[in-house]
Amino acid sequence: MQLTKEENEMLDGKYGDAVQKSMEILVAMGECYDAEKMITVASAHLLHGRSNTGKAGALFDKEMADKGGKCVIFTDTNPSGIEPWAWRDIGISEEAAREQMDYTNDFVRMGVFLANTCTPYLIGNVPRVGEHVAWSESSAVPFVNSVLGARTNREGEPGSLTAAITGRTPAFGYHLDQNRYGDLRISVTAKLKEPHDYATLGHFAGKVAEDRVPVFTGIPPSVSWDDLKLMGAAAATSGSVTLYHVVGITPEAPTEEAAFGPKKPSETFEFGEKELRETEESLSKATAREVDMVIFGCPHASIGEIRDIARLLSGKKLKSGVELWILTPRMISLYAEKMGYLNIIEAAGARILCDSCPICMSQGFLKGRGHKTVATNSAKMTYYIYPHQGLLPYYGSMERCVEAAISGIWR
Amino acid sequence: MAEIILKGHKVAKGKVEGEALVSHEPISFLSGVNTETGVVIEKNHELEGVNIAGKILVFPVGKGSTCGSFIIYEMARFKTAPGGMINLRADPIIAMGAIISNIPMVDRLDGDPVDLIKTGDHVELDADKGTVKVRSRH
Repeated sequence: MQLTKEENEMLDGKYGDAVQKSMEILVAMGECYDAEKMITVASAHLLHGRSNTGKAGALFDKEMADKGGKCVIFTDTNPSGIEPWAWRDIGISEEAAREQMDYTNDFVRMGVFLANTCTPYLIGNVPRVGEHVAWSESSAVPFVNSVLGARTNREGEPGSLTAAITGRTPAFGYHLDQNRYGDLRISVTAKLKEPHDYATLGHFAGKVAEDRVPVFTGIPPSVSWDDLKLMGAAAATSGSVTLYHVVGITPEAPTEEAAFGPKKPSETFEFGEKELRETEESLSKATAREVDMVIFGCPHASIGEIRDIARLLSGKKLKSGVELWILTPRMISLYAEKMGYLNIIEAAGARILCDSCPICMSQGFLKGRGHKTVATNSAKMTYYIYPHQGLLPYYGSMERCVEAAISGIWR
Repeated sequence: MAEIILKGHKVAKGKVEGEALVSHEPISFLSGVNTETGVVIEKNHELEGVNIAGKILVFPVGKGSTCGSFIIYEMARFKTAPGGMINLRADPIIAMGAIISNIPMVDRLDGDPVDLIKTGDHVELDADKGTVKVRSRH
């Protein structure tokens, strides 16, 4: 690998132990993938749930902080394993809270911003077209690559933290032009009416694309960030889609020719009314009629989504024994409060849960609270909620999920 | 005693010798291996119930979650990690796990390691030179 003078000095220890160790790791990764050089990255996004990174992972991060590691680029966090303000209210144990707080403190020591969200692009961390970044979080990676046109590989924690400390990442994979062209075509002929229809499409796309780059045709120009957020999260769950293109919508796909570049689509899959219906049905795994939990905000909710939920909840009451959580960063919760949505949501007996997520909380926590069946509009949540929290999912539109929270019955 | 030498590509530096353990199937470290004992726990995996601690683990490629790098790191802490790893091709998650845990590892050899190396063979792995010396136990 060809390193610059400064990068060689990092490797020689001129900038301290944490920089040296980080650079050693990045050079080793670069050599492994035949990267010719390092590239400068503009931001990093780190996993943060203590139950996701494990004891040794937390120790790796702590040792970086102990060695004097400091972020030299804008770096922020994924959701925490606890709700920082209401963790006692929802029954998180002192022990779990203490572990998470110690872990969070190591990030603070390194100068990491506590965005505590899987959608940091909704609260100001918005990489621009062509910018190189090093992000973890499977749902954020395709958003950044595809919708924003910035460039990141699918990083785990070691990759994004070492990039944060050095400001570098090896030049391979999705950082390079030749790896960003489409591999296959998904021709959408179904009419996508509801936001969750995009999550259904994403689930289908991830299954057929696996780790390849799908190119979507037939998606209407009215598609929103919220729709694409749900779609990418689903595709990075049923597959490991890191980048996709939507012809006429996303920055690297003004035309189909541009999206495929020198490549030819290897296959074409049609997503029609039948695929829409069958995929949606396949995502519901629960069988009991009763629902005791409803979760929105996977990935974390936007202010527009919170408004839509508030409208549906306005003047209603949740059935006793049923909970409805809206996951979002604290920043957006304050916005919702200012707009009057928080009052409506709380009056109905529902809750905005800030800066956290059941998939980042301790394993089995929701089952321990007595929950059995969850309804959600997120295809990603339907996949992780059972192995991580032991709840069986129902999947459908936002309206159908709110109705289940009010009646306690899935219809 | 037959001896073969394979030449390939360094993933993570270092030298190690030991007994080979071969899996023809991909391995997932998250939910696939017990980190405290080193025993493979994935149901119906060909290595289910087998301990990988200290072995020269030969397998085609990693699979599964991006948490895998930290799982390997955790196993290295518990001294339950493989002593060395040989892959057909390294995926970034396994590669990162080997690198941060100082486990010598090579891939892209000039012969198929999963086919040429047998469980129980004595293996000298020199990742820095990219060489694997295999001595059949028979």
